[in-house]
Order: sequence, then structure tokens, then C-alpha cells
Amino acid sequence: MKKALAMLVAACTLTMAVPVCINAEEASGKTDIVIAVDADVDTLHPTDFSTTVELNVLNQLYDTLMYMNPDGTHDPEPRIAESYEISEDGLDYTFHLRNDATFHDGTPVTAEDVVFSIELYKASEYQGSQIAMLSSVEATDESTVVCHLDSPYAPFLGGILSPFICSKAYYESDPDAFVTSPIGSGPYKFVSRATGSNIILEANEDYYRGAPAVKDISFEVIPDTATKAIALQTGEVNFAEIDSSVLAQLDANPEITVTEVPNSTFCYVSMNLEKEPFSNPLVRQAINYAIDRDNLVAVCYDGEAEVNSNICAKNRNGYSEDQLQYTYDPDKAKALLEEAGITTPYDLGEILVAEKYSNLATVVQNDLKAVGLEVTISVKEFNAYIGDLTSGNYNITVLNMTLEGDTQTLEMAFTTDYIGTANNARYSDPDMDELFNQTRSETDPDKRLELFNQIFTKAQDEAIYAVLCNPLTLYAYNSSLQCPEFPFEGNYYVYDFAW
Amino acid sequence: MSKSRKHAQLAEFWRRYRKNKTAVMGLILLTLIVGMAIFADVIIPYAKCIEQVGADRLQGPSAAHFFGTDEYGRDLFARIVHGSRYSLLIGLATSLMALVIGAVLGASAGYFGGMVDNIISRIVDVFMCVPPILLSLAVVAALGTNLRNLIIAITVSCIPGNVRLIRSVVLTTAEQDYVEAAKSYGTSNARIIFRYVLPNAMGPIIVNTTMSISDMMLSAAGLSFIGMGIQPPSPEWGALLSNAQTYLFSAPYMLLFPGMFILASSLAFNLVGDGLTDALDPKLKN
Amino acid sequence: MTKYVIKRILYMIPVLLGVAFLVFTILSLTPGDPGSIILGITAKQEDIAALNAEFGYDQPFLIRFFDYIGDIIFHFDLGTSYATRQPVIDSILARFPNTFVLALLSMCVSSALGISLGIFSAVRQYSVMDHVCVVVALVFASMPGFWLGLMLLIVFSLKLGWLPSFGATSLRHFILPTLTVSLTSAAGLLRLTRSAMLETIRQEYIRTAKAKGASNRRVIWKHALRNALLPVVTTLGGGFGASLGGAIIAETVFAMPGMGTLMTTAIRQKDVPTVMGATLFLAVLFSFIILIVDILYAFIDPRIKAKYRNGGRNRE
Repeated sequence: MKKALAMLVAACTLTMAVPVCINAEEASGKTDIVIAVDADVDTLHPTDFSTTVELNVLNQLYDTLMYMNPDGTHDPEPRIAESYEISEDGLDYTFHLRNDATFHDGTPVTAEDVVFSIELYKASEYQGSQIAMLSSVEATDESTVVCHLDSPYAPFLGGILSPFICSKAYYESDPDAFVTSPIGSGPYKFVSRATGSNIILEANEDYYRGAPAVKDISFEVIPDTATKAIALQTGEVNFAEIDSSVLAQLDANPEITVTEVPNSTFCYVSMNLEKEPFSNPLVRQAINYAIDRDNLVAVCYDGEAEVNSNICAKNRNGYSEDQLQYTYDPDKAKALLEEAGITTPYDLGEILVAEKYSNLATVVQNDLKAVGLEVTISVKEFNAYIGDLTSGNYNITVLNMTLEGDTQTLEMAFTTDYIGTANNARYSDPDMDELFNQTRSETDPDKRLELFNQIFTKAQDEAIYAVLCNPLTLYAYNSSLQCPEFPFEGNYYVYDFAW
Repeated sequence: MSKSRKHAQLAEFWRRYRKNKTAVMGLILLTLIVGMAIFADVIIPYAKCIEQVGADRLQGPSAAHFFGTDEYGRDLFARIVHGSRYSLLIGLATSLMALVIGAVLGASAGYFGGMVDNIISRIVDVFMCVPPILLSLAVVAALGTNLRNLIIAITVSCIPGNVRLIRSVVLTTAEQDYVEAAKSYGTSNARIIFRYVLPNAMGPIIVNTTMSISDMMLSAAGLSFIGMGIQPPSPEWGALLSNAQTYLFSAPYMLLFPGMFILASSLAFNLVGDGLTDALDPKLKN
Repeated sequence: MTKYVIKRILYMIPVLLGVAFLVFTILSLTPGDPGSIILGITAKQEDIAALNAEFGYDQPFLIRFFDYIGDIIFHFDLGTSYATRQPVIDSILARFPNTFVLALLSMCVSSALGISLGIFSAVRQYSVMDHVCVVVALVFASMPGFWLGLMLLIVFSLKLGWLPSFGATSLRHFILPTLTVSLTSAAGLLRLTRSAMLETIRQEYIRTAKAKGASNRRVIWKHALRNALLPVVTTLGGGFGASLGGAIIAETVFAMPGMGTLMTTAIRQKDVPTVMGATLFLAVLFSFIILIVDILYAFIDPRIKAKYRNGGRNRE
């Protein structure tokens, strides 16, 4: 034992003697970046992935056909495809590929590869549902790919622009290496990966849009938020998504810049409409008025969320100021409850939450109590909670959900088909189903916007959910790192960064 | 054993305990903490510890809030005072239950040896190899979540360690001369174990048990992700502490106060434990 | 002795089967299925079902269990992770060295600190230094691991810039995690050694030795320590397990990929093959450590050694 200790002491002194100069890096001439991520990637498979971290890494490795800003109001930017056209009947989408795009092994990206990538994506249980309505895809020549649809589907373009373009030949030659050491089509090449700790990428000097300014990327797995904040301050990490709890600390540091990025994630109270008294819209409206959203955002998000009672985020296609916004008004809530024939204090039973939502529940419980509605908090293990939530085995709950992509995806929260998955309120209304049906096939953007306006107006009037806010994504990075404005939803591309 | 003799023994025990200054200090500290738990409602009403005052969020210690407020604007002093009930209950109940079960199994294994030892030891080996979180998940799956099951879950995960420790202590004492002597008199096994073997092996057992109390208080919070913690908004020290982790930089006092109370109770239990070991030790009579 | 060791190794088989069955059962009882956990709340039912079928998770419990055991016994295959879809053994081998080094270093540091200070305290019972040792030890023991870890990070990484704040690529990365784990666990060892020492010092044979005129030092080192170490060694064996537990916190705080975090993540994701593989892997390791501890007893305590000589049969 003594010997072991002596050895340890010796080892410590030895390593301590080497001077550490992590703070001494010069901004000029720096070409590498260390990005901290919350969790390890499970896979680098271009279609069978499921987490945001995986998406963030894949976004650097692979290019898509075109780049679409998720706010839904910009035209797609060219990537592997230079341009696209949609047939009159809305059934054929034709993409014209550029001819200078290559994979990291030097082979050209062909129409064959694109067809393969789309088919692989479509067949994936993980991502396939993003491309709805595609009946077939074919390469009509070397540089043209045509997608055929079953019926016109407005959000199709957004979906078809999500598959990562990967090499068919590589997949066929070595399906294991295809996953473990991917050969991509994007601005960065895969170098190595240490399970559980990091992923190293390097610049693809032959990238068709020009070589990236930042040459080396290292994604380091740092699960703890406080540790991540410390690593940012010591300069060991240059870029990271951070938790709002460390914001004050990082904001005070002049060497670190923090940017807030709006996104479509919404925090909401879901009530089970199949149960009393939530079937009554007056009660749901009362609950909407009873919650002090500003206070909730201050308590649970350190102020880093946008107050919004609408399920459609303010930056998202379809949102309008004309749609009703619920604001904090406990007196109105009490009046509505009285109108609904509820005598307070009234026991609503349990508010079921997973542990990570228990802070939200604590605030909601307090606000509801103020208008005479009593709830007791019941915390369940996350998977058990999701089970109860999707099977309708709950009264009221509060949680976060992300339904990103085209505004069409919000149908998951409202239509009868999605009862049992994301329609937690178990709301079923033929008019609502029909409205979402129309937005699917309506290809005229203005008419479609009008339909969405009807949908959200209806959702707000009936107070189907009590949406509380849209939490902001916070990126903290070294102040000498130049990052362009982050788009809605906060996807980042290191290609756009520079020191 | 006559009543008066028992009385005399108690007096003798108390006389010896009193001689130990640190043990007396521990006892005073423990009395204060237990008193706080018992008279929590007198000290400050429970309503204070769930009342959220938005304007008072994350306030440092002041005359109005001795220990400051948390992110909801709740009074931390009230939460700590009332949290003592849950934390002490969890700490004590789990440690004692694990001690009793561990003592019975460990002593049997060490004392009887052979097949009994073999079976108990192998079962213990199995449980030592299963991650504690899984054992707690099993309790949740089988029994559901409430305070009683939380205590069971924590207890289950620390029984195996206790059994092994007590077995090993008993192994050394079981072969002492007085045990052999008792055996030769034909004293029953149970009596030998509880009258001679365990009391003489008390030192390490008491140390282990008292040391574990603060661990148990902390581990209650660790189980909250499977829904096993105290349901909010009820306060409990371990949960107060783990919640404060988020505010490490902005409101360090949120960590300080619950931490101090866990430390104080751990200190109190340990000092009292030491005092007990010394006072109970039959060999220290002179 | 050899016979005893062989017997103990054979005993591991039922223990490991017991562990496997217990863990498998618990995982089956807990809610959720891997398909819906991976694909999330917005996934289509048919995608979830397809994924579960791919994992073989649609099979009945017993069939899955025997398939799993069969693969281990006949193919030495720990299975494929549901989450990474790579062999479980790969992720174990990638993480185990970190955890092992951390647990080993922590055990060395904590036992060096705990046992030596424990002896010191016992020998000078009721002295000022004794009280100081005991109280300082308790302060560390009552400190939550994450808090101690973050404090060390703030001081040594953020303020002084001496040590890296995350990762596990060099021995330097292990200093802070080792301190975090060992400082919190040294207290237990200190107290245990102290009390066991006190207990033995009072035994008759020590008094006899003293009466016979043996020097104080000789009595302590030769007679008392040997006997006092028995319970200490037991907790050390268990302590290795506890270090693994403590390692989870250190692994999270210092972003060190290890077995602790691997298992917690896998349990939450219901990644049955990974949980099973990691548990069994550690179970084999534990079993050997416990065996080594039991053999150590024999060397420390001659009475037990005598027992083994009688072919492991106990008295009576």
C-alpha cells in the first residue's frame, strides 16, 4: 500500500512539474475548435440516429441536397443540389446536382448516391417518417434526381432536404465501417472517435464550397453543466450549448460570448381531455389564465425562454399576433371557473411529471392553488411517465416537447391519428383533422398560412393546451470565434465559423 | 435479571458515557437536531416552506430569511427545519434496518459457518454485484413509490455490505475464549450470538452504521430520477443539496446550509456512536 | 488452500447466473421498451414495433433470457447494444480502464490515508489530533461528491489552471477525480480502523503482550494491527465496489467515460444488453476481488488460515 502511494505521489509530482498553459492560447492563427457536447453519440450512422448531439456531428460530416432554414420563410440554399423544381401538379420534385461534389474518399457524388441516400433514409425506423408521401425516387441522368409523390404534400420539400448524402459504394463495400468510420460529403472528414469521450474531425480541403476556415474539430463529451462552464472559462472548450443556470457566470466573463437562439421547443401543461373537468374548455382557459408565465420562465429557465401561450413559436411559419395570447390573470381564471360551475377549492388530483419536469410542476402547482385548484405532484421515472402520458393514464401534466420541421408537424399535437403518441391532450375534433388535411395538400404558401392561422386560432380559443413558453437555446463561445447568426432551432455548421 | 440491577447497569453506563466529553457534545447536538425535527411546526409553520414569493427569488441570507431563499422564492430556513423530519427518518430508518438485517444474516453466517455461511454469502455476493440503482428500480416496479418504499430501496442496497462486514467481525469474536466457554455451558446459539458475540463486535458495527447515516441522507436525492425521492414540494436535505448544485455559482448559500445540517447530524451520530461503543464495552469496566 | 480457491471459483457460477437472472428480470419489469425510448414520443407505432423486433425484444422473457445466456456460454458474446448497435464488449473495454484506474487509485489513496490516520487516532485516543482527524474525516464524508469535485475543479482548473477540467487522456486527468472519490471514502476507513484498533488494543492478549514487557510499538504493529485489519479489509473489498459507485459522480463531474456512467445511461435507455454485459463484467471482477479479500483474511488472521487447512470445514 505504501509503495502504491509512493508511486502515486511520484506520478503526481512528475505530471505537476510540466507547466500547463491552457490559458495562453493566442486567438490569431488558431485553426482548431473544441466543442463540448452533453452526451456521447450512440452512432454516426447517417440515417439511424436519434439524438441532437448525433445530428450536430453529422451536420459537419455530411451535406444534404440543399439547406433549408427551419423557420420556413427562406428559400433553400444550394448544397449537393444546385437547384430544384416542382411540377405543376405538385407530384414530382426534380433536383439538379452540381458536378464538383465529392465524397471524402475522392469519389464523385452521383445521382445514384443521392437516390441511395434517400431510400436508406426513407427505410430507416429512426428518421424515415420525416419523408412522408414519397412513392419513389429515381436518377434520370448523371446529375438529376426526381422524387415522385403519391399525392401533393406541401411539407415535402423540408423532408426531402433532410437526408444526409452518403456513398452507396462505401455502404456496399463495408457496412460496418460505413457507421464506425463514415465517409461523408460535407465540409469535415471523420478522423477518429474514442467511445464516451470524443470525436475528432478535420477539414475537407477539397470541399466544393471551398476549404473550411476552422481546420480541426474535436467534439468532447462533458455531461455536467458546471464542468462545461468551467472548461469554457479555462479555454479548454471553445464552443458549447450551455444551461441557463451558468449564464450569469459566463456572461460576466469578457472572453466568452453567449448567444440566445429561439427554437420551436415548447413547454406546456397538457390536460387529459377525456377526463373531467378538463373536457370543459372554460376550465382549460382558466388554467391558461392562472399560470404566471413570466414567473415560471424566471424560476425554471433563469429568464431564458420566450413567454408564449401558443403552441406555434413566434418565429415559426404560421404564428400570428392575431391568435389569442393568454396572459396572467388570476381573477379572470376564477371567474371562468365559476362560470364552469367549479366550486373552489377544487381537487384536480395528481399532476404527473418526470423528475426533470418537477420544477415546472412546483410552479404550476403554486399558481393553480392561488385560483383554488389543488394538485399534488407525483414524480415518475421518465419511461414510466412517457408510458402513462401516451396511454392517457394521467389527469394533468407539464412537460417540454419539440415538434420541429415544417409547421405541419404540429398536427401531432392535435389530430385524432396521433392520440397515443404526441397528442397528449387526446384531443379529437373532425374540424381540426380536416384543417390539417388541407394544409398537407395546399401548395400555395399564402393559402396555407391562412389555414394555419385558422388552426392556431381554434387551438387558442379552445385552450387545448396551456402552452407556457419556448425555451431558448444558449450557445457560449470564445469571443474571438466568429459565428454567424444562428438560425431558428439553432443548428450550427462549423464551416461558417472562423477565428 | 432484576430491575434494580438493570437500573444500576444503566447508571453505570451513563456514568461512563458522561466521562467522554466529545460524546456528550455529540449527544447535545443530536438532541438539538432531533428537537428541531420534533418541534418543526413550533419553530416555523410548514406553510412557510412551500410558500413561493416571486419577488424574493434567490435572496441571500437576511433577517427575514435566515438561510436565504431558493429559486422559487421559498424560505430555506423553513425548508431545512421541516426537511429534518424526512432526512432524519430516512437516515435513521435505513441505517437501523440495514443494521438489524445485516446483523442477523452476518452473525448467522459468521457464527454457524458451513452451509449457512455458504448460502448467505452467495446470496450477498449476488446482491453486491447488482448495481444499487437497479435494485431500487426493482423496488419501484414491485411496490410503487412512496416514503416507505424509498426507505426500503435504500436499505436493500446497503444490506449486502453490512452482512459482509458483520460476518467478518463475528468471525474474529466467535472464536474468543468466552464464546467457547459459553458454548461449553450449553448456552443456546441465539443467546451466544446476541449476548456475547455481537456486543463484543460492536465497535466496527456502530462506526459503520453511524457513518452510513449521512450517506443515506444524501442518497435519497440520488433516487429522485426514478421517482423515488420525496415528492415535491416537500423538503428533504439531500434534495435541497442536489437542487442547489444548479446554483453553485450564483447562490452558493443554497448548498452551504443543507450541507452544514447534514454534516452536523453526521457528526452528532458519529460522536454518540463512539461514546456508546466506549460506554458499552464490557472490557472497559475499570 | 488451493482446494478452497477452486471451490470458491466454482461458487461463482451460480452467483453469476443469479446476477444475470436478477438483473434481466428487473429490466423486464421496469416500464418502457427500447424501441419507443430510442425513437421518442413522436414515433410511429410501426417503426417502434419494427425496431423492437430487430432487437429481438418482441420475444417472451424466458426465450430472450436463455438466448442471451446461450450466446455468452457458447459464443462468448455479450450481445449488441440497442443504443449503439455495436458489440457491448467494445463499449465496456473502451470505458473499463478509466474506471479501473480511478477505482484503484482512489482505493490506494483512501486506504493509505484512512488506515494510517485511523491507527494514529487510535493510538492517541482522545488527543487533540485524534479529534481533529475524526472531525475532518467526517466533514469530507458528509460532503456530497459532486460538490467536492466541483470545488476541486474551481480551485485547481479554473483559478490555478494547474489541472485539466475534463477528460481521461493522461494521469494528470486522474488527480482530481481520485481526490474526489478517495477523500469522501477515506473517512469511513479512518473511523473503522480507529475503532477496530481500539477494540483489539483492549483485548486480553494485547494486555498480556504488554504485561510481558513488549514495547508499545511492537504491540501495535505486531499484535493489534493484524487483528484490527480484518473488518477493514472487508470494507476495502466492498470499498472497491463503493469506489465504482463513487466513480459515477466523479465520471460525470470530470467528464470521464467510465463504467458508472455507461451503466446509468444504459439503465435509463433500457439498453438491456449493455446493462447485462456491464453488470456481469463487473460481477466477475467483484467476485475475484471478494475472493482475494477472503484469501487475504487468511494471511492476516492465522485462525482462519487454520480453518482452510482443514479442507474448509468449519468447527463442529
